[in-house]
Amino acid sequence: MTTIDGSSIKKLIVACDAGMGSSVMLASTLKKQLAKTGVTVEHSPVASIPADADVVVTQAGLADRARGVVPNIPVVPFNLFLGDPAVTRIVKAIIDGTTIEV
Amino acid sequence: MSSYTPTVTGTGARATVQRFGAFLAGMVMPNLGAFIAFGIITTLFIPTGWLHLILGKAPISWVDQISTVVGPLIVILIPILIAYTGGKNVHGHRGGVVGAVALIGAMLAPVALKLAPISLNGESTAPPANISEIGPTILAAFVLGPTAALAMRAWDNFIAGKVKGGFEMLVDNFSAGVVGAVFAIIGLYIVGPITFWITQGLGWLANWLVNAHLLPLVSIVVEPAKVLFLNNAINHGVFTPLGIEQASTAGRSIFFMIESNPGPGLGILTAMLLFGPRAIRPTVPAAMVVHFLGGIHEIYFPYVLMKPILVLAAIVGGATGVLWESLLGLGLVAPASPGSIIAWAAVSQPSVILLNLLGIFIAAGVTFIIGALLLGFGRKESAVDAALDLEAAQEKSAQNKSSSKVAPAAS
Repeated sequence: MTTIDGSSIKKLIVACDAGMGSSVMLASTLKKQLAKTGVTVEHSPVASIPADADVVVTQAGLADRARGVVPNIPVVPFNLFLGDPAVTRIVKAIIDGTTIEV
Repeated sequence: MSSYTPTVTGTGARATVQRFGAFLAGMVMPNLGAFIAFGIITTLFIPTGWLHLILGKAPISWVDQISTVVGPLIVILIPILIAYTGGKNVHGHRGGVVGAVALIGAMLAPVALKLAPISLNGESTAPPANISEIGPTILAAFVLGPTAALAMRAWDNFIAGKVKGGFEMLVDNFSAGVVGAVFAIIGLYIVGPITFWITQGLGWLANWLVNAHLLPLVSIVVEPAKVLFLNNAINHGVFTPLGIEQASTAGRSIFFMIESNPGPGLGILTAMLLFGPRAIRPTVPAAMVVHFLGGIHEIYFPYVLMKPILVLAAIVGGATGVLWESLLGLGLVAPASPGSIIAWAAVSQPSVILLNLLGIFIAAGVTFIIGALLLGFGRKESAVDAALDLEAAQEKSAQNKSSSKVAPAAS
């Protein structure tokens, strides 16, 4: 179990295989949701996740690779690209500054 | 396959294939704009394109002038861009430059060494007389871009810190020049001929599969691989190079259609919307728009992983679409990427655009019908079941997460 402290997150990365399609879509949604928090939301290919990220959000099928690339950054896997509870949870944790387990 | 969540910890095999596929796709995908430019100019300006269809068959000087850029875009620019990107991914801009230089050697191997293409339909073939007659050398680009860049990186690492102050630029420029020149020669004599014959062999095999109408069988591999997030690997690692090869001679290729057809995904989503677990039905309409118009297929994969049996519907629907395209000799002029119906329309020749688009709806219809059958027309689903489904899935994925955390912590 890794505990993520929502209030300590400054940079959230949404990763997908190519870093061009689904990650861009989800990143733009999260950017809007997190606009008021000042958290940086970026998208990237799973193979080149920036090392200064505080948390990585990626589809469960790619989570393995994400962990291989950035073993020290917590990875939040989700299933559905739209309306997944795992994504909602991390967004809520960041906004409220609460901690969650992933 | 029976779990809601694809194995997060899992074996390394899928991740390895994904990584290799991403390595190939990573050379192609940053350059998709060039492919689309090629597609647009082709569908508009070639003799069988939209403008001649609208303005008449007679030569129109400006249309025909513009159409001269079609050939160089596909046989020269696109392979160079791929080699450059392959090199850049390994060793930055310097890697890209030596990769592009190296490719030119391989590109001209058939001209310099007088290599004649394999005859596909009994016609006699001759070696290309000059660069305007060569085929696209995508495979050579895949090989030479990263390899030349690896050599460049090895040299740069070796020399790092050893150059006298003031000589850095001299050493940097000449080392890149030497590596580029050496790899251009290696490309000409070794990589060029080998990749030429491999490409010819693959082209022959592809042609045989198409003529024997066996191509629908590839859906058995493609549709399951797609939902395991191997979609880019398969499409841009395998089908795009094959398609470019075919399109450069035949004008259009069915290989651009196999993975990018948004039909099977639309069928899956429609079946899920009407007969899927009730709890997830509200998420489907937005997914349909993103998938079908936005062309982001990833959005339907989780729905298949949720009900893995649905992959059968995608296979049969995908295969039916390919059969339709294969029987009628359909094709796209360039990769449809992202796989949206809009992209399909943009890279369809006017003579086949309606048949091409019909292929999407045939695949969608067949996938939907089989998907609906497999979901029992929703009879088995109640709101309670669905809620349990989702809860169990969340729990399971939480377990996966916790067990997967052990490995990184230990290392």
